[in-house]
Amino acid sequence: MVNLTIDGKQITTSKTSTIYEAAKENGIYIPVLCYAKKLLPYGACRVCLVEVEQMKGRLIPSCTTPVTEGMVVTTMTDEIRKVRKTVLEFLLVNHVVDCPVCDKGGECDLQDLSYEYEVVTNRFEGEKFDLPKDEVNPLIERNMNRCVLCGKCVRVCDEVVGYGSYSFINRGFETKIATAFDRGLDCEFCGQCVSMCPVGAILPRPFKFKARPWQLKEVDSVCGYCGNGCTVTLGVKDNQVETIRFNDETGVNDGNLCVRGRFGYSYVNSDQRLTKPLVRTNGELKEASWDDALKAAAKGLKDAGDKVGILSGARLSNEELFLMKNFAKVLGTDNLDHSGGESYKGVTEGLFETLGLQASTATFPQVENANAILAIRSDFYETHPVFGMVINQAIRRNDAKLSVIADKFGKLSKLPNARTLIHKPGMELNLLNALCHTLIEEGLAKTDGVDGLDALKAALKDYSAEAVAAAVGGDADKIKTTARELVNAENAAIVLAYGLPYTAYSKEIAIAAANLALLTGIAGREGSGLYLCGEKANSQGAIDIGILPGNNGLGAQQMLSAAGQGELKALYLIGEDPLVSYPDKALVESALEKTFLVVQDIFLSASAEKADVVFPAGSFAEKDGTFTNAERRVQRLRAGIKSPGEAKTDYAILQSMLKEFDAAAPLSPVEAFTALAAETAGYQDVAIDKIGAHGFVWGGETLQPKKKQLVAVSGVEAPQGDYQLLVGSALYHSGTVSVHAKGPMAVVSEPYIELGREDAATLEIEDGDKIKLKAANGEIQAKAKVDRRLPQGVFFTPYHFAELQLNSIYTGQAAIAVQPAKA
Amino acid sequence: MASIEGHRGMSRPRPPFPAVRGLWGKPTNINNVETYANVSYIFYNGADWYSSIGTENTKGTKIFALTGKVKHTGLVEVPAGITMREVIYDVCGGILNNRKFKAVQAGGPSGGCLPSEAIDAEVDYDSLIKAGAMMGSGGLVVMDETTCMVDIARFFLNFTRVESCGKCIPCRIGLKIMLEILERITSGQGQEGDIELLQDMAYDIKKSSLCGLGQTAPNPVLSTIRYFRDEYETHIKEKECPSHSCKELLHFRVIEDKCKKCGLCPRVCPVDAIEWEKGQVAKIDLDKCTKCTSCYDACRFMAIE
Repeated sequence: MVNLTIDGKQITTSKTSTIYEAAKENGIYIPVLCYAKKLLPYGACRVCLVEVEQMKGRLIPSCTTPVTEGMVVTTMTDEIRKVRKTVLEFLLVNHVVDCPVCDKGGECDLQDLSYEYEVVTNRFEGEKFDLPKDEVNPLIERNMNRCVLCGKCVRVCDEVVGYGSYSFINRGFETKIATAFDRGLDCEFCGQCVSMCPVGAILPRPFKFKARPWQLKEVDSVCGYCGNGCTVTLGVKDNQVETIRFNDETGVNDGNLCVRGRFGYSYVNSDQRLTKPLVRTNGELKEASWDDALKAAAKGLKDAGDKVGILSGARLSNEELFLMKNFAKVLGTDNLDHSGGESYKGVTEGLFETLGLQASTATFPQVENANAILAIRSDFYETHPVFGMVINQAIRRNDAKLSVIADKFGKLSKLPNARTLIHKPGMELNLLNALCHTLIEEGLAKTDGVDGLDALKAALKDYSAEAVAAAVGGDADKIKTTARELVNAENAAIVLAYGLPYTAYSKEIAIAAANLALLTGIAGREGSGLYLCGEKANSQGAIDIGILPGNNGLGAQQMLSAAGQGELKALYLIGEDPLVSYPDKALVESALEKTFLVVQDIFLSASAEKADVVFPAGSFAEKDGTFTNAERRVQRLRAGIKSPGEAKTDYAILQSMLKEFDAAAPLSPVEAFTALAAETAGYQDVAIDKIGAHGFVWGGETLQPKKKQLVAVSGVEAPQGDYQLLVGSALYHSGTVSVHAKGPMAVVSEPYIELGREDAATLEIEDGDKIKLKAANGEIQAKAKVDRRLPQGVFFTPYHFAELQLNSIYTGQAAIAVQPAKA
Repeated sequence: MASIEGHRGMSRPRPPFPAVRGLWGKPTNINNVETYANVSYIFYNGADWYSSIGTENTKGTKIFALTGKVKHTGLVEVPAGITMREVIYDVCGGILNNRKFKAVQAGGPSGGCLPSEAIDAEVDYDSLIKAGAMMGSGGLVVMDETTCMVDIARFFLNFTRVESCGKCIPCRIGLKIMLEILERITSGQGQEGDIELLQDMAYDIKKSSLCGLGQTAPNPVLSTIRYFRDEYETHIKEKECPSHSCKELLHFRVIEDKCKKCGLCPRVCPVDAIEWEKGQVAKIDLDKCTKCTSCYDACRFMAIE
């Protein structure tokens, strides 16, 4: 700690603080323009200049100067005021000052500072900027005539996002922020630059002319897309979510968001939303009153007796899931499951067998301090972009070594010094086994208190780095180096995403990853962790609460099979569209057709169209409750708007259904939370009022494994056939909801089939051509996207789009053997 | 360092100082070539030998790059503490065309202009700084009576403006505005109060700039105002350039009593705008004149204004 004096006030602060940070901590105001908490010190704007007695003769930038013992700082003198004002005058000479039509008006740092320093007239004169605006893309508008060159956009895109869209070009007065070759912006559109810009130079286009900042009501909630659990602050006006506001004070994401979180909110305002209950009468879905719809649903379910299955998505709040579980009890069924069943076997069965846990062992912020990171699946950045940014920061700030086990090259592979262990489709397991083999072989494995070593050793005898490298088409040295780095790192992390498009071998991969976490000592060690990240916002909550088949119950796939064979009489789908997102469309179709079907959704999904009763539900923006993210962080959702028309939250609908069955239901989500916390393992310590700005991590920052059991899993044979299709998630989408959101759709509006340049040349397919993939049980067609991500013989397609009919050929396998042709 | 690392050349905030965390995050010693060259001699001959040369506070020798209106330009190495007169008149052979010495810009473009009164001052770190200049890069630009001090300030500021990396606001915008004001003055558009405005903003730019470039770039302006304020005032108030150097303030007329009737000017005029007969004072036809200043530059008697 360091002692210093600022404006006569005695202050003790950390020795790594800057003067600005020390002042801020102690409530002393120093103006800034180019400073941002999450970026490295930069010192360009010269607005934060202060006087330091020990450095007399010049003014000291407080945002870049570290505190030293005994420092005496003065933050305001006549000279400082004058210099700051001159700087502001300089900025306003060429700036266009079009505040009346600037969306930033009212929350612009330049405007506020000009006001504070009373820059009424300007002693200097000069020509106004007349630079062209960048309005090429639909999401981010750049107007460099308002730019103050604070460099925050350049820095955040590099330091945090790791994309590097922007740079300064030209020199001196002609300096400006530009993209490569000064063309229109074409990036991943996470909008970090938008959130960082202190002026109106980079703005969200969808928000243009929608509202003045002071007209917006700000509501802190949690993003409804992936399991990262980013805080989104809804900007609400007239019961519409108009924008997502910047907020780096709340939550786990430091104000960082991805394209979905920042621009994917508009589906909640969509005019396609269901606003009235629908009941099938004479073969057609017709609008009905809530009373009639509830009665019809209750009757159908009662008729089915206990031959009922309930299937939910993982975007329901904990409270709603809890009510749903109670409802299953009332119906007397054990047939309860979520998100395709298979997709989370890694957590529920894989981790449970090895570590005795059903959750990640550590929290995201710890990864920033990791020295070695292993990401399993190249899609990790696509499924959890903001966690990907944390990994990028670990690399940049901490020189962390990143290895990626991947069947294709993704964003993570492009990060500095990233090592990609490329493998043939579906062979992650072999590589994980080879890493374990290397650790045991070289005597590096940490085996204290670990059971099953001998059995594992015997089982892994054929998985030497060399043998596996030859089998998967990789490099043995890379495997060995990765194993050594992971075991030798002070802090290390293993990250793995799970979800609907990644069902194959999910349990086995989790076991192999857990084996590695045990042998490297990562599991349960302070500062290190094994992260299993769910695809959906409340994937972890669904597992914690136990939205899983009971002792005699059927899982998702079994339910659908049973329904197809007439063994189940009714199905209740909540926030799930299996017809589009589940593997094996034929199976789903027959299941939905042969049962009495109740669907609760916000849109008339493909599955809802088959329903007998449809309840219009509420989106995340309309809910109060909690989500539990992939690091066990329980965070609060807050309703920002009212549901459209007669739509109700899933909570309210489930309350009504319980009432129809004469069962008691907690009145409010808060009551439901108290009840669920009492009976959910790990939640006993979580009380709703303990959930603060940064949520509440159940089980603590580091979760100790309940056991340390190594379990041998065998690898996978290399896939047969010349061409394989991989199924996965695209960065711009999440599940099937984002296709209703304008932002993500503006970037990726239709399904595509991605292939590498070599294959494109062989098949004579160019970017944008129609391509046809024929598989054993059908074929799909989409536009070709040619790039350099995919190895020869491998295709990729995202699963979000219904029109692709992907699940007509996808039945949950790791890779689909296909025959490609130009269509 | 940024350039070596493949980044855009921009100054970085200090601390951390390069000696602690420099190139690729490693401690780095950054010095001028001259310093490194001296180090090897000090190693060979010892510190006592080195400090036997020079003055109390400026030891050893100093290499100056002499340019401008001196007979012999180039690099000269002299012991520190020598006077400016010795450098200019002894080492460099005096002023070109035997004109009158007017000023010397010491320390490169960010240094300061010293007037003729300073010619007997010793050249060492302390005296130069006291006089409003600096040792800096060791550049010495010698000026004679044909050099306009406002124009020279404009010239140096143009250099620093172009060299500005664009990172910090005072240097990026401030220098451009200063330059525009100087251009205004040298083209006869100067306004009352410009000198005070220049001085005031120069002070703020020096105080608030991020790196050495911005912190010193206003020096030529400040030192020329300090020693040659009258030239600024003449430009602004009388719209005249006393050195007849600012092209837009030239009248292109022959001063009769200075003209030696030599006939050199009609010969250099590319557009035949000068009428001259042997034994007569030359006359410039302003309709034909393109203001190229060939005649002005050629005249050895300062007879054209």
